Amino acid sequence: MTTGRAVNGFLLDITGVLYNSIYKSDGSAIPKSAEAVDFVREEDVITPAPVVAQYCREHELRPHLFVRDDVLEYFDGIDTTSPNCVVMGEVEEGFSFDRINRAFRVLLNMPKPLLITMGNGKFFQRVDGPCIDVGAFAAALKFSTNCEIVMIGDDLLSDVGGAQACGMRGIQVKTGKWRPDFEKLPVKPDLTADCLYDAVKMIADNGFRL
Amino acid sequence: MSRKIKTALIDLSGTLHIEDLAIPGAQAALEKLRKHVAVKFVTNTTKESKNLLHQRLRDCGFAIEKDEIFTSLSAARDLITKQQYRPFFILDDKAMEDFEGIPTEDPNAVVLGLAPEKFTEEYMNRAFRLIKEKNAALIAIHKAKYYQKKDGLHVGPGFYAAGLEAVANVEAKVVGKPNKLFFQMALESLGNVDFSSAVMIGDDVDDDVIGAISAGMHGILVKTGKFRSGDERKVQNVAESFVEAVDMIIENKV
Repeated sequence: MTTGRAVNGFLLDITGVLYNSIYKSDGSAIPKSAEAVDFVREEDVITPAPVVAQYCREHELRPHLFVRDDVLEYFDGIDTTSPNCVVMGEVEEGFSFDRINRAFRVLLNMPKPLLITMGNGKFFQRVDGPCIDVGAFAAALKFSTNCEIVMIGDDLLSDVGGAQACGMRGIQVKTGKWRPDFEKLPVKPDLTADCLYDAVKMIADNGFRL
Repeated sequence: MSRKIKTALIDLSGTLHIEDLAIPGAQAALEKLRKHVAVKFVTNTTKESKNLLHQRLRDCGFAIEKDEIFTSLSAARDLITKQQYRPFFILDDKAMEDFEGIPTEDPNAVVLGLAPEKFTEEYMNRAFRLIKEKNAALIAIHKAKYYQKKDGLHVGPGFYAAGLEAVANVEAKVVGKPNKLFFQMALESLGNVDFSSAVMIGDDVDDDVIGAISAGMHGILVKTGKFRSGDERKVQNVAESFVEAVDMIIENKV
């Protein structure tokens, strides 16, 4: 018997769902997540970087880029001299005091300091424990420079709530940063599963309906 | 005419000296000031113990006794012993001398000061985990947004305190300036807790001057150290440097 509405596509969060982050390495896959997803085409992976680059072009912004090397290509062709904003991405690869201080000085010297962040996660889960994320640095830079903040991306704390607010169904997986006390939060997932594989299997067994 | 000001609290770094260089004329200005008011040196500096601070001032040519210096580190130690905190210290090694004997096993508090060598991902994540998972208290020796070094401005401990507050759902307890209790303890040690006849001289418009005014004291902002153009619009009494600030006090212009 199959009940529920058709599920025609999946948006997958990555860290904590497909794989766990490990400091200075490629991370480790969460068991069976590869089987859950036959293959992930590059165009199926949505990240904030190209959206931020487009935002910069539309608003004629010259960003000081504080991002991972592998997203720099999205910013090709954008003038980065005499920056009038700072773009900050995830900090998974660790941060250096020197880079942060540079971003701080760039902001402090702007007449109207503007910080664009990719996401606003408070922390991300790594195998050795939780680590402070973009949200911490955004708050810190705002405190020290009184900058305006524009956030582009998902809010890690409410992937589920954020999706539901758009009319999508939200599924909570108990991997990554999940904790039992999440059950006390006001967001109620449409489905809760131990891991991605179990979630996909439940939906598949139900004729791709939820 | 009776003098309005009877006591002066004087900031050190940025006001009397910048690293190893005294502000020109400050040594003589201090001697002149001492003839009129009682003075105490108050500093949020967390990078050095009181011994090192005192030595540096002597080397700059200032005639100052060690017990005339009241530091936020001393205030922090008082708070730690009173509350029986077992701290995870994010402090410069040179400051740790002031915390000898404090137990640090199984920490239930994070003590954050100006320690650039320890503003690393490892230290910050450890602090974050203690606060989030063990409910550790967050004590900020001070919350300076930034400070001046010879090569330019650097983010201060306030930067990291604000970051931790935002993500670990905690409020930092500030021990040093502009905490009113800190100013009070400094004045108490001079035997005069009358805020209305006291003045704070400093280069940090927020933590020194506005902090002092909020506590009920007078404040004079000096345009040296971390002073940035525009700061002078936030307060009434502004002096080119400590030298001119002393003249303002002696001439009753505060």
